[in-house]
Amino acid sequence: MPSSTSSFKNRLRLPRLFFRPPTEAESVHGGPPLEFERPIPPIPWRGITVIVAITVIVATIAWEIYCRSIGYGPTLNDSEDFWTMIRRRVQPESVVIIGDSRGWYDLDLDELQKGLGKRPLQLAMGGGCGYPVLADLADDKTFHGTIICSFVPRLFFAPPGTPPWERGEKAVRRFHTQTPAQRAGQYLAFPLEEHVAFLKQEELTLDDLLKGLPIPNRPGALVPPRLPPYFGTIDRERRARMIDECARGGKLASTIQQIWIPLFTPPPPPSYIPKDVFMAKMKEAIETRFHDTISAVQKIRGRGGKVVFVRLPVSGGLKTLEDQTTPRNQTWEPLLQGTGAPGIYFEDYPELARFNCPEWSHLSAGDSVEFSKRLVPHLRAALKM
Amino acid sequence: MLFNSLTFVVFFVVVVTLYWSIRSWNARKNLLVVASYLFYGAWNPPFAALLFSTTSMDFWLGARMAKAATPRSKRGWLVASVCMNLSMLGFFKYGNFLLENFQWLLARIGIIYHPPHLDILLPVGISFYTFHSLSYTLDIYRGVLQPTRSLRDFVLAVSFFPQLVAGPIVRAGDFLPQLIRPPHLRLGQFLWGLLLMTLGLFEKIVVADTLLSGSADRIFGYGGPLIALDSWIGVLAFAGQIFFDFAGYSTCAIGAALCLGFHLKDNFRFPYAAIGFSDFWRRWHISLSTFLRDYLYIPLGGNQVRPVRAAINLVIVMFLGGLWHGAAWTFVVWGLLHGSYLVIERVVRVLFEKKPWANNFATRALAWLATYGAVCIAWVFFRASDFTVASRMLGGMFGRHLHGDAILSTREMLQVAIVTICVIAVHWMLRDSNIETAVTRLPRWVVTTTWALMACAIILTQGNSNAFIYFQF
Repeated sequence: MPSSTSSFKNRLRLPRLFFRPPTEAESVHGGPPLEFERPIPPIPWRGITVIVAITVIVATIAWEIYCRSIGYGPTLNDSEDFWTMIRRRVQPESVVIIGDSRGWYDLDLDELQKGLGKRPLQLAMGGGCGYPVLADLADDKTFHGTIICSFVPRLFFAPPGTPPWERGEKAVRRFHTQTPAQRAGQYLAFPLEEHVAFLKQEELTLDDLLKGLPIPNRPGALVPPRLPPYFGTIDRERRARMIDECARGGKLASTIQQIWIPLFTPPPPPSYIPKDVFMAKMKEAIETRFHDTISAVQKIRGRGGKVVFVRLPVSGGLKTLEDQTTPRNQTWEPLLQGTGAPGIYFEDYPELARFNCPEWSHLSAGDSVEFSKRLVPHLRAALKM
Repeated sequence: MLFNSLTFVVFFVVVVTLYWSIRSWNARKNLLVVASYLFYGAWNPPFAALLFSTTSMDFWLGARMAKAATPRSKRGWLVASVCMNLSMLGFFKYGNFLLENFQWLLARIGIIYHPPHLDILLPVGISFYTFHSLSYTLDIYRGVLQPTRSLRDFVLAVSFFPQLVAGPIVRAGDFLPQLIRPPHLRLGQFLWGLLLMTLGLFEKIVVADTLLSGSADRIFGYGGPLIALDSWIGVLAFAGQIFFDFAGYSTCAIGAALCLGFHLKDNFRFPYAAIGFSDFWRRWHISLSTFLRDYLYIPLGGNQVRPVRAAINLVIVMFLGGLWHGAAWTFVVWGLLHGSYLVIERVVRVLFEKKPWANNFATRALAWLATYGAVCIAWVFFRASDFTVASRMLGGMFGRHLHGDAILSTREMLQVAIVTICVIAVHWMLRDSNIETAVTRLPRWVVTTTWALMACAIILTQGNSNAFIYFQF
């Protein structure tokens, strides 16, 4: 910290004030103008700016063309602000879809509207835990509508602090704390994202490109699991649709299949927590989630609302893995028993079980329409409509 | 509204276009006031009313102070202004902190008291605009500033949107004089402002958020013991992140102000090339360190008191500087550490300054290394959410966890290492210069290429609208 009072006195500009009385204009504004003025580098600004502008425009167009050439297309980013925009549309009697990406991809809003009489609002989210949204709707005392909750055990029971839970929690928090600037930002982002392919925050950012560099790691390095590449588009209602390239079941679909396996495999306990302590904590977290879910469903049903859980199609190696690690009798059945809510398990109905997921976890856009059509009678029965 | 958001880009284009299209200086100033309140209200509209009320109160108190007949009444008005500003800051920023500590103290003497948790929302940038406003009444009291007669101009000085929420802390005495005459649109100045905004956004979006924040977050958020390498990389990542985040904001603010014809002073001057802690504080968050120096350290006696008293004053100032950053004891420890560093430096200077080797290259290099290392150690307390995390981090850094975990990927380590080496090299090259001189001396193609690359990197990174770290202060 500077230590001289003389420099301090210099800053005070006392002499000028004493020796020269300020002019009328100056006295209105507090004193003589400062001599301080930022220097401006004397370089040919006009030429430099023109070259920079042209370079940036050309580079941006080239990047856009390249991204389109490798299969990317324009789509909206599923941001918390976008989710909040749909959440704001929830009315007391709305039909709302919550849960994970299967509810997002597999349920067609047009078909559900035809069957249920109301257009559902899509609040499910990719890789998200549905519980924070369920709890938020349960705490919304005005809400007494219908909730269709997609249930993937590993995501629904994800404990606090894990990515699926945080995704749901952050979206809910944004709904309650969204600023006018964030709201405006979402409206401004729509037209850009609908026309520019490289604006894909989960994949084509510098950060993601750096993550893709093939650099070997030390043993033990905790590298986050790889996430699936672009395989769907989202419209302004947050309806997700699988792109044709993935639906055809070629290389893209098989790449994604191999990404789901590590993502859905239970991670080993952290090295600094004994395994038995960790397992006990996980058990406690799951029991707490069961208890909280029962409480949330009771709140909604107590106000005349309805909740139906749906287990949507899963195929291939991922189905085998889910059946092994989160068996139905330990997850689905206790959930329905505890909450008393109706449930629809795709395997229980031949017309729903026949669908195949090209990348093992989601239906193609075409199949999602047919699946939703077939699901409607079961939903109506479950909801006693 | 964040600088790194699409909303701000549109807002800024509209404001700048309107501003330079209007002829009347008064109308332009009115436009800036409206734009600044819109900018602030875009976070939380009711807080704009709070900002206006404290500003107008200081305007009135300043006028009363100037008219005060006796020094005593003048002091009374100053005390009123200081109390008003600090109580506002205290309530919003330190309310829960004070209650929690009060509860803890009562528990120590056996009284169990459960205070209601105050659900207080912290107005963005309250620490900054409180200081903007406070500087006005303090300078009037000191006799170095006459009160302005225009409430509109004072409101603009406090709320001018480029510096409103995260600094630099622009004193009313530095800004009000710029409102006397309308600035003229100068192409070079405008484009230099745009280049500075590009640089600031690059620092924030690309370097702080993309290259460094992930490693810092992972290391400080890890629940287990870490080996020394990972611990140090996490701390170096945060040291870079906090610099690029805050300096990025300041650079954007200076650039945005220049585009509107206003001149704000530097807030950072290549701090990681500092040799010694007093040098560091002449380079880091200059607007805060000079504020504390002029309005706290010097009134306490400055260097004109006995050395022991001066050392105590330094520690008091840095303690309050730490507390200014946040309502947590970790910030206090950070401030106290810097206070202690400054005191130790003074002692070392007295003992060794006149030695023949005191200014040779090796000594300076060692002094730099010690400064940088000590600053990084202090950052641990600044970043850690509590003392458990800080203790675990320090344990890792100093080899307590020989068999700890190594969690960072090679890519993350490389990113941090490359950025750290680059930032230190650039700071060293420019430590006795400034960015304007550097740009003037560099070949034109280098300036052009760098500007274009920064802009492309910003577009490629897309920005995920992460808030600036200093917003929380």
